[in-house]
Amino acid sequence: MSSSHWADEPLDDDPEDSFVRPYTITHGRTVSAHGDLTLITIVVALALPEEQLGTRGLEPEHRFILEQCRRPVALAEIAAGLNLPVAVTKILISDLITLGRVAARPPVAVAVGKRPDIRLLQAVRDGLRRL
Amino acid sequence: MDYDDSDRRGGPLSPAPAAVKFLIAGGFGVGKTTMVAAVSEVEPLRTEEYLTVASIGVDDVAGVGEKDTTTVAMDFGRITVSPELVVYLFGTPGQERFWFMWDDLVLGALGAVVIADTRRLQTSFGSIDFFERKGIPFVVGVNCFDGYQDRTIPEVREALDLDPHVPVLMGDFRQRAVSRDVLLALVDYLMDGHRSAS
Repeated sequence: MSSSHWADEPLDDDPEDSFVRPYTITHGRTVSAHGDLTLITIVVALALPEEQLGTRGLEPEHRFILEQCRRPVALAEIAAGLNLPVAVTKILISDLITLGRVAARPPVAVAVGKRPDIRLLQAVRDGLRRL
Repeated sequence: MDYDDSDRRGGPLSPAPAAVKFLIAGGFGVGKTTMVAAVSEVEPLRTEEYLTVASIGVDDVAGVGEKDTTTVAMDFGRITVSPELVVYLFGTPGQERFWFMWDDLVLGALGAVVIADTRRLQTSFGSIDFFERKGIPFVVGVNCFDGYQDRTIPEVREALDLDPHVPVLMGDFRQRAVSRDVLLALVDYLMDGHRSAS
């Protein structure tokens, strides 16, 4: 598995293969069991007793995800780290949710036509001003 | 090893922060990734998404109702505001016509920056139209490398047919402070309550 994921990484250059090959990792599944995962859903590994921390039945990509989300990380970041499309990454993360290995926090709900929570905006503003 | 023993699940190793995002849009080569890179705490990352889209080509007679899958690539960055809040910046891919079938693009989006290039302002129309129709507040940033300006802000505003309250800013977005100020202008705009009523 490549861990290089910088912006100058060339795109997949074989159009014949590009849609099919990533799904071999999911054993052909193209739909995530947890349909509400998004690009900025935050994924974090769950603390488990030693005897539940095995990796049997997990693909190398699952283990990579578990390692990457020992600290909270967005789904898109995991996809970039895996160098896999978002759709495929969603299926792998969904597996880990089903197995009780990771928790997922959805993004802040932003309603169209309504102002976001003013404290949230103030916090974002403070964060930008520190840049 | 019993993976189904959900009763003994532990809590997260560390608490997950709340996440929001800003979309950085505009035509190809206009400086989206430049802005992401200028303010992100990490080198911009790249990820790809598959979109399933109806074939709606104007000369597509036989293919009515067919679906195509297309790949779009996004560069994105991150600003960790606090352990409780993370802001992501997504440079949107071109092909704005696909965005309407891509709910994930706008989920958690507080607002957007449309980057404009005065030499080809028409490349911004697709993004502006999308955000107006989706009711997503946006500001316009005119990217001026090395301070080169060939149009004034009123000229840009008129050429893009912007509502009078939409902020327009100019600057060299390679500079962190300039890109940061565009995002601050967007947040101020949001705080003023100028959510587009659609």
